[in-house]
Amino acid sequence: MSQTNIPVTVLTGYLGAGKTTLLNRILSEDHGKKYAVVINEFGELGVDNDLVVDADEEVFEMNNGCICCTVRGDLIRIINGLVKRKGQLDGIIVETTGLADPAPVAQTFFADDDVKKAAHLDSIVTVADAKNLIARLGDSSEAEEQIAFADLIILNKMDLVTPEEAAEVERRIRAINPWAELRHSVKSDVPVTAVLGRESFNLEKVLEREPEFLNGEDHHSHDSEVMSISLSTDKPLDPERFNAWIGQVLAVKGQDLLRTKGILSYQGEDRVFAFQAVHMLADGDFIRDWKEGEPRVSRIVFIGRDLNRPKLRKGFESCTAEAATAAYESELARWSPEA
Amino acid sequence: MSTTTQPEFLIDSRGTTRETDAYVVGLGFCRATGTLGAGLGDGTVRIGTDLVTHQAHEGAVLAFCPDAKAGFLTGGDDGRLVSTAAEAVTLAKYGSRWVDQVAAHPDGLRAASVGKALHLLDGKGEALKSLNHPSSVAGIAFDAKGKRVVASHYNGASVWFVNAKEDKPRFLEWKGSHGLVRFSPDGTHVVTAMQENALHGWRLADGQHMRMSGYPTKTRSMEFTAKGRWLATAGAESIVMWPFFGGGPMGKPPTELAGGDGVFCSALACHPQHEVVAAGFDDGLVLIAEIGSGKVLPVAPPSESPVSAIAWNASGNMLAFGTEKGLIGWLDFSAR
Repeated sequence: MSQTNIPVTVLTGYLGAGKTTLLNRILSEDHGKKYAVVINEFGELGVDNDLVVDADEEVFEMNNGCICCTVRGDLIRIINGLVKRKGQLDGIIVETTGLADPAPVAQTFFADDDVKKAAHLDSIVTVADAKNLIARLGDSSEAEEQIAFADLIILNKMDLVTPEEAAEVERRIRAINPWAELRHSVKSDVPVTAVLGRESFNLEKVLEREPEFLNGEDHHSHDSEVMSISLSTDKPLDPERFNAWIGQVLAVKGQDLLRTKGILSYQGEDRVFAFQAVHMLADGDFIRDWKEGEPRVSRIVFIGRDLNRPKLRKGFESCTAEAATAAYESELARWSPEA
Repeated sequence: MSTTTQPEFLIDSRGTTRETDAYVVGLGFCRATGTLGAGLGDGTVRIGTDLVTHQAHEGAVLAFCPDAKAGFLTGGDDGRLVSTAAEAVTLAKYGSRWVDQVAAHPDGLRAASVGKALHLLDGKGEALKSLNHPSSVAGIAFDAKGKRVVASHYNGASVWFVNAKEDKPRFLEWKGSHGLVRFSPDGTHVVTAMQENALHGWRLADGQHMRMSGYPTKTRSMEFTAKGRWLATAGAESIVMWPFFGGGPMGKPPTELAGGDGVFCSALACHPQHEVVAAGFDDGLVLIAEIGSGKVLPVAPPSESPVSAIAWNASGNMLAFGTEKGLIGWLDFSAR
């Protein structure tokens, strides 16, 4: 391999939110880094860059039995082409059109072996227009999904809204996505370092930021389809039971679950287990040791549609080692000879 | 075989290796002179055993093949189709789009894919026609006679007659994303490598489907043997050979060559006359395997970089290979 694994930033946002302004800023700023940019509306960029790639947004289904598993065929080809170039790229930025569902782009980095070898998803960045976002959330499911998928939301055009309007937009964003980092901007003026190289998909960074709500409180407003649910327990989990349960949840609800993230404490294990998924495609591993005195709390956050909190909570709580033991004992009791 | 002695690699006694420091995208031998040529990730085409450098493209060479009559044909991420012999000559510019695939036929035909379009050019570089597809073209190939060209894409492949007055393809349908594509040498079958770690084939006479699966990874290289009896394929821990005789490959298991060390085959080339396959692996190992006996000859030792290209010359006495890191090696098998 001539290149090491390249970080990829997916840039989403509704038409006119300020994506192109941000891209131009990234490309023209003097940061000494080499980025390839995959864009869809060629010619809009005002910057001359030989690493701008014109893409077609060809979404196709993987025949792997997963009904929601769609990937970007053009991206697979482009990434395989980019790694042939001489000289290490510092990153790849994939811009999606305003109406695009971010899932196929994200899933491409989980589903294709060659792409996985060459590149990895760094973060999903969504540019939102503070003035128009609420209207967009009302009339387009894509706008909602772009917020739901984001690791970083750049709330742009802040100069055009009153403090009250800004607070309302933020409230709506938090109802959909409580964990994303939120940054305000005017004319997309955020530092490049805040956007690129975030490693949001690095398991070690899962839930690094606390979701911005009190645990146990659900977030959904009645005018929004997408909601988030956060669950936690200080009782250690049984890994087998958790795997069986989360596997089942992702298989059955994967289409409705946009993103899932979790930090888990397993029974008898001194290491932190991190987990994240985009729809049905999941990734998980031990990332570090629990620190001395650190509360060993397992937390999991679901963002999606039509989520049943009592059911998810019940399922999650049945994964504790305590519940596993209780289930074992009741099973034992059931089969024991009558005294 | 003793486990303590190192196998003897032919490259040490009969070969030469050179470092180029750029991804070897493709290599081959000139149809006119038999000279070695390679297309690299730094945009250059290197020609001859001195690897004389020609800057064919600004970015990377994305596709490479021996050109129709002489020299080498390349497509690049600078949107250009270039033929390089004595010097690099731009045959066509396709703007900002990448030239993803190229193919050439000795009758003086060239093909280049750019997005959803397949462009056909004649020997002089004049555009003959542009053929459109429902989605991006991911693989192209001429049949042995140069009468037909096939392009693979999402949900199947399209077979076009090069000289048809009215361009209407025969659409070979199969759900999924199809990449690399090959005609059998007798022109009766088309086979594609799919996104799903499987091959799909069509018998053109009756449209019979063939599914060849079981690969642990994607097949990035495949070729029919000279007489078309076997389809040799990469993508597994061995060279997987599908029999195209005696009613196969339907209902027949493939033959596996040179397998067993847990490293995937990444590139291969069939000998132009004999039933012999040269194969490269993900660890840089190169070997030659005889189909009939299963006998294996080690050619080059592991070099820590996957073999990305491998080719025989027309008479089958020269073999060349290249790796992703930029190693190029070649061997002379002729009697000394």
